[in-house]
Amino acid sequence: MATIVILVVLAALVLWGVSVYNRIIQLENRYENAWSQIDVQLKRRADLVPNLVETVKGYATHERQLFEEIARSREAMINAKGVSESAEAANMMSAALGRLFALAEAYPELKANQNFMMLQEELAGIENKIAYARQFYNDAVLQYNNAIETVPGSFFAGPMGKTQAVFLEIPEQDRAVPSVSFGGAQGQPQA
Amino acid sequence: MTSAPSGLPDVFTDPASGQRINLLDYKARNMRLSWAMALLTAAILAALAYLLAQVTDIASTGFFVGSAVAIGGAQGLVGFFLSDKIALAAAGARKATAEDHRYLVNVTEAVAIGAGVPAPQVYVIDSPAPNAFATGRDPQRSSIAVTKGLLQLLDRQELEGVVAHEMAHIRNYDVRFMSMLVATVGAILVLRDLVMRWLYWGGVGSGSGRRRRSDRGGDGARGQGVMALLLIVLLVLAPLLATLLRLAVSRRREYLADAAAAYITRNPEGLARALEKIRDYRGPQLEVSEGVRHMFFVNPLAGQNAVDLMATHPPIQERIDRLRRM
Repeated sequence: MATIVILVVLAALVLWGVSVYNRIIQLENRYENAWSQIDVQLKRRADLVPNLVETVKGYATHERQLFEEIARSREAMINAKGVSESAEAANMMSAALGRLFALAEAYPELKANQNFMMLQEELAGIENKIAYARQFYNDAVLQYNNAIETVPGSFFAGPMGKTQAVFLEIPEQDRAVPSVSFGGAQGQPQA
Repeated sequence: MTSAPSGLPDVFTDPASGQRINLLDYKARNMRLSWAMALLTAAILAALAYLLAQVTDIASTGFFVGSAVAIGGAQGLVGFFLSDKIALAAAGARKATAEDHRYLVNVTEAVAIGAGVPAPQVYVIDSPAPNAFATGRDPQRSSIAVTKGLLQLLDRQELEGVVAHEMAHIRNYDVRFMSMLVATVGAILVLRDLVMRWLYWGGVGSGSGRRRRSDRGGDGARGQGVMALLLIVLLVLAPLLATLLRLAVSRRREYLADAAAAYITRNPEGLARALEKIRDYRGPQLEVSEGVRHMFFVNPLAGQNAVDLMATHPPIQERIDRLRRM
Protein backbone atom coordinates (compact mmCIF):
# COMPACT_ATOMS: atom_id res chain seq x y z
CA MET A 1 0.00 0.00 0.00
CA ALA A 2 2.70 2.45 1.02
CA THR A 3 4.68 1.78 -2.15
CA ILE A 4 1.63 2.60 -4.28
CA VAL A 5 1.18 5.92 -2.52
CA ILE A 6 4.86 6.73 -2.94
CA LEU A 7 4.71 5.82 -6.62
CA VAL A 8 1.66 8.00 -7.18
CA VAL A 9 3.28 10.94 -5.42
CA LEU A 10 6.45 10.45 -7.45
CA ALA A 11 4.47 10.30 -10.70
CA ALA A 12 2.66 13.51 -9.78
CA LEU A 13 5.96 15.22 -9.02
CA VAL A 14 7.45 14.12 -12.31
CA LEU A 15 4.42 15.35 -14.26
CA TRP A 16 4.55 18.68 -12.48
CA GLY A 17 8.26 18.99 -13.18
CA VAL A 18 7.70 18.20 -16.84
CA SER A 19 5.02 20.88 -17.11
CA VAL A 20 7.28 23.52 -15.58
CA TYR A 21 10.15 22.51 -17.88
CA ASN A 22 7.90 22.55 -20.94
CA ARG A 23 6.50 25.94 -20.11
CA ILE A 24 9.96 27.46 -19.88
CA ILE A 25 10.90 25.95 -23.23
CA GLN A 26 7.67 27.17 -24.85
CA LEU A 27 8.14 30.72 -23.59
CA GLU A 28 11.73 30.74 -24.77
CA ASN A 29 10.70 29.59 -28.23
CA ARG A 30 8.00 32.21 -28.25
CA TYR A 31 10.33 35.11 -27.65
CA GLU A 32 12.89 33.80 -30.13
CA ASN A 33 10.14 33.49 -32.71
CA ALA A 34 9.05 37.03 -31.86
CA TRP A 35 12.53 38.23 -32.74
CA SER A 36 12.42 36.60 -36.15
CA GLN A 37 9.07 38.30 -36.77
CA ILE A 38 10.73 41.66 -36.30
CA ASP A 39 13.38 40.54 -38.71
CA VAL A 40 10.80 39.61 -41.36
CA GLN A 41 9.27 43.07 -41.25
CA LEU A 42 12.67 44.76 -41.36
CA LYS A 43 13.59 42.76 -44.45
CA ARG A 44 10.30 43.65 -46.14
CA ARG A 45 11.00 47.29 -45.47
CA ALA A 46 14.50 47.00 -46.87
CA ASP A 47 13.04 45.36 -50.00
CA LEU A 48 10.73 48.30 -50.67
CA VAL A 49 13.45 50.88 -50.29
CA PRO A 50 15.03 50.72 -53.79
CA ASN A 51 11.65 51.34 -55.42
CA LEU A 52 11.03 54.25 -53.10
CA VAL A 53 14.41 55.81 -53.74
CA GLU A 54 13.93 55.57 -57.51
CA THR A 55 10.53 57.26 -57.29
CA VAL A 56 11.85 60.09 -55.15
CA LYS A 57 14.97 60.55 -57.28
CA GLY A 58 12.75 61.45 -60.22
CA TYR A 59 11.61 64.57 -58.37
CA ALA A 60 14.32 65.47 -55.86
CA THR A 61 17.44 64.97 -57.92
CA HIS A 62 19.86 66.88 -55.77
CA GLU A 63 19.42 65.09 -52.45
CA ARG A 64 22.34 62.79 -53.15
CA GLN A 65 23.65 62.66 -49.63
CA LEU A 66 20.36 61.32 -48.31
CA PHE A 67 20.12 58.71 -51.06
CA GLU A 68 23.62 57.55 -50.32
CA GLU A 69 22.84 57.28 -46.64
CA ILE A 70 19.79 55.19 -47.38
CA ALA A 71 21.81 52.92 -49.66
CA ARG A 72 24.42 52.53 -46.93
CA SER A 73 21.84 51.65 -44.29
CA ARG A 74 20.38 49.07 -46.65
CA GLU A 75 23.84 47.54 -47.14
CA ALA A 76 24.29 47.48 -43.39
CA MET A 77 20.97 45.68 -42.97
CA ILE A 78 21.82 43.02 -45.52
CA ASN A 79 25.27 42.42 -44.10
CA ALA A 80 24.38 42.65 -40.44
CA LYS A 81 25.37 39.70 -38.34
CA GLY A 82 23.82 39.23 -34.96
CA VAL A 83 21.22 41.06 -32.99
CA SER A 84 22.98 44.31 -32.14
CA GLU A 85 24.29 44.93 -35.67
CA SER A 86 20.79 44.27 -37.01
CA ALA A 87 19.23 46.64 -34.54
CA GLU A 88 21.73 49.37 -35.31
CA ALA A 89 21.23 49.05 -39.06
CA ALA A 90 17.45 49.08 -38.59
CA ASN A 91 17.62 52.26 -36.55
CA MET A 92 19.83 53.90 -39.13
CA MET A 93 17.34 53.06 -41.87
CA SER A 94 14.41 54.30 -39.79
CA ALA A 95 16.13 57.64 -39.31
CA ALA A 96 17.01 57.95 -42.99
CA LEU A 97 13.49 57.03 -44.15
CA GLY A 98 12.02 59.49 -41.70
CA ARG A 99 14.07 62.25 -43.27
CA LEU A 100 13.14 61.10 -46.78
CA PHE A 101 9.43 61.40 -46.08
CA ALA A 102 9.91 64.72 -44.34
CA LEU A 103 11.74 65.86 -47.45
CA ALA A 104 8.90 64.68 -49.68
CA GLU A 105 6.63 67.24 -48.04
CA ALA A 106 8.42 69.93 -50.03
CA TYR A 107 7.60 68.34 -53.40
CA PRO A 108 3.82 68.39 -54.04
CA GLU A 109 4.15 66.58 -57.37
CA LEU A 110 6.00 63.77 -55.68
CA LYS A 111 3.32 63.54 -53.01
CA ALA A 112 0.67 63.19 -55.71
CA ASN A 113 2.54 60.42 -57.51
CA GLN A 114 0.49 57.20 -57.34
CA ASN A 115 3.48 54.95 -56.84
CA PHE A 116 4.82 57.13 -54.08
CA MET A 117 1.48 57.16 -52.27
CA MET A 118 1.25 53.38 -52.46
CA LEU A 119 4.80 52.99 -51.16
CA GLN A 120 4.11 55.48 -48.41
CA GLU A 121 1.09 53.49 -47.24
CA GLU A 122 2.99 50.19 -47.46
CA LEU A 123 5.92 51.57 -45.52
CA ALA A 124 3.64 53.13 -42.92
CA GLY A 125 2.02 49.72 -42.58
CA ILE A 126 5.37 48.00 -42.20
CA GLU A 127 6.62 50.54 -39.65
CA ASN A 128 3.46 49.89 -37.68
CA LYS A 129 4.09 46.16 -37.84
CA ILE A 130 7.71 46.65 -36.75
CA ALA A 131 6.50 48.62 -33.75
CA TYR A 132 4.00 45.91 -32.85
CA ALA A 133 6.55 43.17 -33.41
CA ARG A 134 9.00 44.89 -31.09
CA GLN A 135 6.27 45.31 -28.51
CA PHE A 136 5.29 41.67 -28.77
CA TYR A 137 8.93 40.67 -28.48
CA ASN A 138 9.21 42.61 -25.24
CA ASP A 139 5.97 41.08 -23.96
CA ALA A 140 7.31 37.60 -24.75
CA VAL A 141 10.61 38.39 -23.05
CA LEU A 142 8.75 39.62 -19.97
CA GLN A 143 6.76 36.40 -19.75
CA TYR A 144 9.88 34.30 -20.20
CA ASN A 145 11.85 36.23 -17.60
CA ASN A 146 8.94 35.97 -15.17
CA ALA A 147 8.81 32.23 -15.70
CA ILE A 148 12.48 31.65 -14.99
CA GLU A 149 12.70 34.08 -12.10
CA THR A 150 9.59 33.17 -10.09
CA VAL A 151 9.61 30.22 -7.78
CA PRO A 152 8.81 27.01 -9.56
CA GLY A 153 10.73 28.01 -12.68
CA SER A 154 13.72 29.42 -10.84
CA PHE A 155 14.65 25.96 -9.54
CA PHE A 156 14.73 24.66 -13.09
CA ALA A 157 16.36 27.62 -14.81
CA GLY A 158 19.80 26.99 -13.37
CA PRO A 159 20.09 23.33 -14.36
CA MET A 160 18.54 24.11 -17.74
CA GLY A 161 21.10 26.81 -18.31
CA LYS A 162 18.46 29.45 -19.00
CA THR A 163 19.32 33.04 -18.35
CA GLN A 164 17.35 36.25 -18.50
CA ALA A 165 16.49 37.48 -21.96
CA VAL A 166 17.14 41.05 -22.92
CA PHE A 167 14.49 43.65 -23.69
CA LEU A 168 14.57 45.62 -26.88
CA GLU A 169 14.90 49.33 -26.57
CA ILE A 170 12.37 51.09 -28.76
CA PRO A 171 13.96 53.94 -30.69
CA GLU A 172 12.53 57.38 -29.89
CA GLN A 173 10.83 58.04 -33.19
CA ASP A 174 8.82 54.83 -33.01
CA ARG A 175 7.78 55.43 -29.42
CA ALA A 176 5.38 58.33 -29.99
CA VAL A 177 1.70 57.47 -29.79
CA PRO A 178 0.19 57.25 -32.45
CA SER A 179 2.32 54.22 -33.26
CA VAL A 180 3.69 55.68 -36.44
CA SER A 181 3.78 59.15 -37.90
CA PHE A 182 4.84 59.16 -41.50
CA GLY A 183 3.54 62.28 -43.15
CA GLY A 184 0.08 62.16 -44.65
CA ALA A 185 -0.61 58.44 -44.50
CA GLN A 186 -2.29 58.72 -41.11
CA GLY A 187 -6.01 58.18 -41.13
CA GLN A 188 -6.40 58.00 -44.88
CA PRO A 189 -8.67 55.02 -45.49
CA GLN A 190 -8.34 53.44 -48.89
CA ALA A 191 -11.77 52.16 -49.71
CA MET B 1 19.40 47.43 -24.95
CA THR B 2 18.29 46.83 -21.39
CA SER B 3 15.48 49.30 -20.74
CA ALA B 4 12.16 47.83 -19.61
CA PRO B 5 9.12 48.14 -21.89
CA SER B 6 7.23 51.36 -21.29
CA GLY B 7 3.70 52.39 -22.11
CA LEU B 8 0.55 51.17 -20.40
CA PRO B 9 1.36 50.24 -16.80
CA ASP B 10 0.89 46.60 -15.95
CA VAL B 11 -0.91 47.47 -12.75
CA PHE B 12 -4.02 49.62 -12.69
CA THR B 13 -7.04 50.16 -10.48
CA ASP B 14 -10.13 48.24 -11.45
CA PRO B 15 -12.86 50.88 -11.41
CA ALA B 16 -15.52 48.38 -10.38
CA SER B 17 -13.89 46.98 -7.25
CA GLY B 18 -11.24 49.59 -6.44
CA GLN B 19 -8.57 46.91 -6.29
CA ARG B 20 -5.13 47.18 -7.79
CA ILE B 21 -5.17 44.74 -10.68
CA ASN B 22 -2.19 43.42 -12.52
CA LEU B 23 -3.24 43.57 -16.17
CA LEU B 24 -1.55 40.26 -16.82
CA ASP B 25 -3.73 38.74 -14.09
CA TYR B 26 -6.89 40.56 -15.14
CA LYS B 27 -7.38 38.08 -17.89
CA ALA B 28 -6.88 35.12 -15.55
CA ARG B 29 -9.38 36.51 -13.06
CA ASN B 30 -12.03 37.14 -15.69
CA MET B 31 -11.48 33.71 -17.18
CA ARG B 32 -11.97 32.13 -13.77
CA LEU B 33 -15.20 34.04 -13.25
CA SER B 34 -16.46 33.11 -16.70
CA TRP B 35 -15.73 29.48 -16.04
CA ALA B 36 -17.39 29.68 -12.61
CA MET B 37 -20.56 31.07 -14.17
CA ALA B 38 -20.47 28.47 -16.92
CA LEU B 39 -20.12 25.69 -14.35
CA LEU B 40 -22.99 27.20 -12.41
CA THR B 41 -25.12 26.98 -15.53
CA ALA B 42 -24.11 23.36 -16.02
CA ALA B 43 -24.89 22.71 -12.35
CA ILE B 44 -28.40 24.06 -12.88
CA LEU B 45 -28.84 21.52 -15.65
CA ALA B 46 -27.54 18.78 -13.39
CA ALA B 47 -29.85 19.86 -10.55
CA LEU B 48 -32.82 19.70 -12.88
CA ALA B 49 -31.79 16.21 -13.93
CA TYR B 50 -31.44 15.10 -10.32
CA LEU B 51 -34.83 16.47 -9.29
CA LEU B 52 -36.40 14.89 -12.31
CA ALA B 53 -34.93 11.54 -11.33
CA GLN B 54 -36.44 11.90 -7.86
CA VAL B 55 -39.87 12.79 -9.16
CA THR B 56 -40.07 10.35 -12.03
CA ASP B 57 -38.16 7.22 -12.85
CA ILE B 58 -34.75 6.82 -14.39
CA ALA B 59 -36.07 5.99 -17.83
CA SER B 60 -38.13 9.18 -18.13
CA THR B 61 -35.31 11.25 -16.72
CA GLY B 62 -32.96 9.67 -19.17
CA PHE B 63 -35.31 10.50 -22.01
CA PHE B 64 -35.82 14.13 -21.03
CA VAL B 65 -32.28 14.95 -20.09
CA GLY B 66 -30.93 12.94 -22.99
CA SER B 67 -33.10 14.82 -25.47
CA ALA B 68 -32.24 18.17 -23.97
CA VAL B 69 -28.52 17.44 -23.99
CA ALA B 70 -28.73 16.01 -27.51
CA ILE B 71 -30.55 19.06 -28.87
CA GLY B 72 -28.33 21.46 -26.95
CA GLY B 73 -25.33 19.50 -28.09
CA ALA B 74 -26.45 19.64 -31.71
CA GLN B 75 -26.88 23.39 -31.35
CA GLY B 76 -23.41 23.54 -29.88
CA LEU B 77 -21.86 21.47 -32.65
CA VAL B 78 -23.48 23.49 -35.40
CA GLY B 79 -22.33 26.62 -33.63
CA PHE B 80 -18.86 25.23 -33.15
CA PHE B 81 -18.28 24.26 -36.75
CA LEU B 82 -20.40 26.62 -38.76
CA SER B 83 -21.02 29.76 -36.75
CA ASP B 84 -18.40 31.76 -38.55
CA LYS B 85 -19.77 30.97 -41.99
CA ILE B 86 -23.32 31.55 -40.83
CA ALA B 87 -22.48 34.83 -39.17
CA LEU B 88 -20.53 36.11 -42.16
CA ALA B 89 -23.27 35.12 -44.58
CA ALA B 90 -25.98 36.59 -42.35
CA ALA B 91 -24.14 39.90 -42.20
CA GLY B 92 -23.55 39.98 -45.94
CA ALA B 93 -19.82 40.22 -45.46
CA ARG B 94 -17.46 40.19 -48.43
CA LYS B 95 -13.89 39.09 -48.24
CA ALA B 96 -11.43 41.97 -48.19
CA THR B 97 -8.33 41.56 -50.30
CA ALA B 98 -5.07 43.41 -49.99
CA GLU B 99 -5.78 45.25 -53.25
CA ASP B 100 -9.09 46.88 -52.43
CA HIS B 101 -8.66 47.20 -48.66
CA ARG B 102 -4.92 47.48 -48.18
CA TYR B 103 -5.30 49.88 -45.26
CA LEU B 104 -7.63 47.58 -43.35
CA VAL B 105 -5.57 44.48 -44.09
CA ASN B 106 -2.37 46.24 -42.97
CA VAL B 107 -3.96 47.37 -39.72
CA THR B 108 -5.28 43.86 -39.05
CA GLU B 109 -1.92 42.23 -39.74
CA ALA B 110 -0.10 44.74 -37.53
CA VAL B 111 -2.43 44.23 -34.57
CA ALA B 112 -2.25 40.45 -35.05
CA ILE B 113 1.52 40.68 -34.65
CA GLY B 114 1.07 42.66 -31.46
CA ALA B 115 -1.53 40.24 -30.14
CA GLY B 116 0.56 37.19 -30.96
CA VAL B 117 -2.11 35.47 -33.06
CA PRO B 118 -2.13 34.53 -36.74
CA ALA B 119 -3.77 37.26 -38.81
CA PRO B 120 -7.49 36.50 -39.24
CA GLN B 121 -9.34 36.66 -42.54
CA VAL B 122 -10.74 40.11 -43.08
CA TYR B 123 -14.28 40.80 -44.31
CA VAL B 124 -16.12 44.00 -45.10
CA ILE B 125 -19.84 44.56 -44.52
CA ASP B 126 -21.65 46.96 -46.80
CA SER B 127 -23.41 49.10 -44.20
CA PRO B 128 -23.06 52.70 -43.08
CA ALA B 129 -23.56 51.74 -39.43
CA PRO B 130 -20.19 51.49 -37.66
CA ASN B 131 -19.73 48.03 -36.20
CA ALA B 132 -17.55 44.93 -36.30
CA PHE B 133 -17.49 41.34 -35.16
CA ALA B 134 -15.13 38.40 -34.83
CA THR B 135 -15.91 34.74 -35.35
CA GLY B 136 -13.90 31.57 -35.35
CA ARG B 137 -13.43 28.78 -32.88
CA ASP B 138 -9.71 29.21 -32.54
CA PRO B 139 -7.07 31.73 -33.64
CA GLN B 140 -6.02 29.60 -36.62
CA ARG B 141 -9.51 29.64 -38.13
CA SER B 142 -10.82 33.07 -37.36
CA SER B 143 -12.31 36.03 -39.19
CA ILE B 144 -12.99 39.65 -38.51
CA ALA B 145 -15.72 41.60 -40.26
CA VAL B 146 -15.89 45.38 -40.29
CA THR B 147 -18.56 47.66 -41.75
CA LYS B 148 -17.81 50.30 -44.36
CA GLY B 149 -19.28 52.81 -41.96
CA LEU B 150 -16.62 51.94 -39.39
CA LEU B 151 -13.80 52.36 -41.91
CA GLN B 152 -15.06 55.80 -42.85
CA LEU B 153 -15.73 56.97 -39.31
CA LEU B 154 -12.52 56.05 -37.49
CA ASP B 155 -8.91 57.06 -37.86
CA ARG B 156 -5.98 54.68 -37.66
CA GLN B 157 -5.56 54.61 -33.89
CA GLU B 158 -9.27 54.11 -33.31
CA LEU B 159 -9.53 51.38 -35.94
CA GLU B 160 -6.56 49.62 -34.34
CA GLY B 161 -8.43 49.71 -31.04
CA VAL B 162 -11.53 48.10 -32.51
CA VAL B 163 -9.53 45.47 -34.41
CA ALA B 164 -7.53 44.72 -31.26
CA HIS B 165 -10.78 44.24 -29.33
CA GLU B 166 -12.00 41.70 -31.87
CA MET B 167 -8.59 40.03 -31.91
CA ALA B 168 -8.78 39.74 -28.11
CA HIS B 169 -12.10 37.90 -28.42
CA ILE B 170 -10.45 35.45 -30.78
CA ARG B 171 -7.39 35.03 -28.59
CA ASN B 172 -9.51 34.39 -25.50
CA TYR B 173 -11.53 31.73 -27.32
CA ASP B 174 -14.62 33.81 -26.55
CA VAL B 175 -16.55 32.56 -29.54
CA ARG B 176 -16.01 28.96 -28.53
CA PHE B 177 -16.79 29.68 -24.89
CA MET B 178 -19.97 31.60 -25.66
CA SER B 179 -21.16 28.89 -28.07
CA MET B 180 -20.72 26.35 -25.32
CA LEU B 181 -22.64 28.52 -22.91
CA VAL B 182 -25.42 29.13 -25.43
CA ALA B 183 -25.68 25.36 -25.97
CA THR B 184 -25.98 24.72 -22.22
CA VAL B 185 -28.65 27.38 -21.81
CA GLY B 186 -30.38 25.93 -24.87
CA ALA B 187 -30.39 22.49 -23.25
CA ILE B 188 -31.98 23.94 -20.12
CA LEU B 189 -34.66 25.64 -22.18
CA VAL B 190 -35.41 22.44 -24.10
CA LEU B 191 -35.58 20.46 -20.86
CA ARG B 192 -37.97 23.02 -19.43
CA ASP B 193 -40.22 22.77 -22.46
CA LEU B 194 -40.24 18.98 -22.48
CA VAL B 195 -40.99 18.62 -18.78
CA MET B 196 -43.65 21.33 -18.83
CA ARG B 197 -45.36 19.54 -21.65
CA TRP B 198 -45.13 16.24 -19.84
CA LEU B 199 -46.51 17.75 -16.64
CA TYR B 200 -49.34 19.31 -18.59
CA TRP B 201 -50.30 16.07 -20.26
CA GLY B 202 -49.51 13.52 -17.58
CA GLY B 203 -48.43 15.04 -14.36
CA VAL B 204 -46.32 14.09 -11.41
CA GLY B 205 -47.23 10.94 -9.58
CA SER B 206 -48.95 9.26 -12.51
CA GLY B 207 -47.49 6.25 -14.20
CA SER B 208 -44.36 4.49 -13.14
CA GLY B 209 -43.28 7.13 -10.59
CA ARG B 210 -46.03 6.29 -8.19
CA ARG B 211 -45.69 2.56 -8.71
CA ARG B 212 -42.05 2.67 -7.74
CA ARG B 213 -42.59 4.55 -4.53
CA SER B 214 -45.95 3.14 -3.48
CA ASP B 215 -44.38 0.75 -0.98
CA ARG B 216 -42.86 3.65 0.96
CA GLY B 217 -46.18 4.93 2.10
CA GLY B 218 -47.08 8.44 3.26
CA ASP B 219 -43.61 9.79 3.80
CA GLY B 220 -42.50 8.84 0.34
CA ALA B 221 -45.43 10.59 -1.29
CA ARG B 222 -44.78 13.79 0.62
CA GLY B 223 -41.06 13.71 -0.20
CA GLN B 224 -41.95 13.27 -3.81
CA GLY B 225 -44.36 16.21 -3.60
CA VAL B 226 -41.66 18.48 -2.23
CA MET B 227 -39.32 17.39 -4.96
CA ALA B 228 -42.01 18.00 -7.54
CA LEU B 229 -42.61 21.49 -6.22
CA LEU B 230 -38.92 22.20 -6.20
CA LEU B 231 -38.71 20.91 -9.73
CA ILE B 232 -41.46 23.18 -10.97
CA VAL B 233 -39.97 26.22 -9.24
CA LEU B 234 -36.57 25.44 -10.67
CA LEU B 235 -38.02 24.83 -14.12
CA VAL B 236 -39.50 28.27 -14.10
CA LEU B 237 -36.50 30.02 -12.61
CA ALA B 238 -33.64 28.10 -14.15
CA PRO B 239 -33.91 29.30 -17.74
CA LEU B 240 -34.12 32.86 -16.51
CA LEU B 241 -31.15 32.40 -14.21
CA ALA B 242 -29.14 30.66 -16.88
CA THR B 243 -29.88 33.40 -19.39
CA LEU B 244 -28.88 36.09 -16.92
CA LEU B 245 -25.64 34.23 -16.26
CA ARG B 246 -24.99 33.95 -19.98
CA LEU B 247 -25.53 37.67 -20.45
CA ALA B 248 -23.34 38.48 -17.46
CA VAL B 249 -20.56 36.35 -18.93
CA SER B 250 -21.05 38.08 -22.26
CA ARG B 251 -20.72 41.52 -20.67
CA ARG B 252 -17.71 40.53 -18.60
CA ARG B 253 -16.00 39.24 -21.71
CA GLU B 254 -16.64 42.53 -23.46
CA TYR B 255 -14.87 44.41 -20.67
CA LEU B 256 -12.04 41.90 -20.80
CA ALA B 257 -11.70 42.33 -24.56
CA ASP B 258 -11.61 46.12 -24.10
CA ALA B 259 -8.84 45.80 -21.50
CA ALA B 260 -6.90 43.37 -23.69
CA ALA B 261 -7.26 45.71 -26.67
CA ALA B 262 -5.91 48.59 -24.60
CA TYR B 263 -2.97 46.41 -23.62
CA ILE B 264 -2.25 45.17 -27.13
CA THR B 265 -2.30 48.65 -28.66
CA ARG B 266 -0.79 50.29 -25.52
CA ASN B 267 -3.40 52.95 -26.26
CA PRO B 268 -6.71 52.88 -24.36
CA GLU B 269 -7.51 56.35 -25.70
CA GLY B 270 -7.76 55.04 -29.27
CA LEU B 271 -10.46 52.55 -28.36
CA ALA B 272 -12.18 55.06 -26.08
CA ARG B 273 -12.41 57.59 -28.91
CA ALA B 274 -13.72 54.92 -31.26
CA LEU B 275 -16.48 54.07 -28.77
CA GLU B 276 -17.32 57.76 -28.41
CA LYS B 277 -17.67 58.21 -32.14
CA ILE B 278 -19.86 55.13 -32.38
CA ARG B 279 -21.94 56.24 -29.41
CA ASP B 280 -22.63 59.55 -31.14
CA TYR B 281 -23.46 58.01 -34.50
CA ARG B 282 -26.98 58.86 -35.63
CA GLY B 283 -27.34 57.23 -39.01
CA PRO B 284 -29.04 54.09 -40.32
CA GLN B 285 -28.65 51.04 -38.09
CA LEU B 286 -27.44 47.56 -38.87
CA GLU B 287 -30.09 44.92 -39.46
CA VAL B 288 -29.18 41.73 -37.64
CA SER B 289 -31.09 38.84 -36.18
CA GLU B 290 -31.26 38.20 -32.45
CA GLY B 291 -29.07 35.15 -32.56
CA VAL B 292 -25.96 36.95 -33.80
CA ARG B 293 -26.48 40.29 -32.09
CA HIS B 294 -24.21 39.44 -29.15
CA MET B 295 -21.22 38.93 -31.40
CA PHE B 296 -20.96 42.53 -32.53
CA PHE B 297 -18.59 45.16 -31.20
CA VAL B 298 -21.42 47.34 -29.96
CA ASN B 299 -25.05 46.39 -29.64
CA PRO B 300 -26.50 46.97 -33.12
CA LEU B 301 -29.75 48.20 -31.62
CA ALA B 302 -29.00 51.75 -30.56
CA GLY B 303 -30.62 52.69 -27.29
CA GLN B 304 -30.34 49.15 -25.97
CA ASN B 305 -27.05 49.96 -24.35
CA ALA B 306 -28.62 51.11 -21.12
CA VAL B 307 -27.71 49.43 -17.84
CA ASP B 308 -29.80 46.36 -18.14
CA LEU B 309 -29.45 42.81 -16.89
CA MET B 310 -30.83 41.62 -20.20
CA ALA B 311 -28.24 43.42 -22.30
CA THR B 312 -25.61 41.41 -24.15
CA HIS B 313 -23.23 44.36 -24.11
CA PRO B 314 -22.25 46.66 -21.29
CA PRO B 315 -23.32 50.28 -21.79
CA ILE B 316 -20.98 52.19 -24.11
CA GLN B 317 -20.42 55.02 -21.63
CA GLU B 318 -19.29 52.56 -18.96
CA ARG B 319 -16.83 51.00 -21.40
CA ILE B 320 -15.45 54.43 -22.28
CA ASP B 321 -15.11 55.36 -18.62
CA ARG B 322 -13.29 52.16 -17.74
CA LEU B 323 -10.84 52.69 -20.58
CA ARG B 324 -10.20 56.29 -19.56
CA ARG B 325 -9.50 55.21 -16.01
CA MET B 326 -6.69 52.89 -17.05
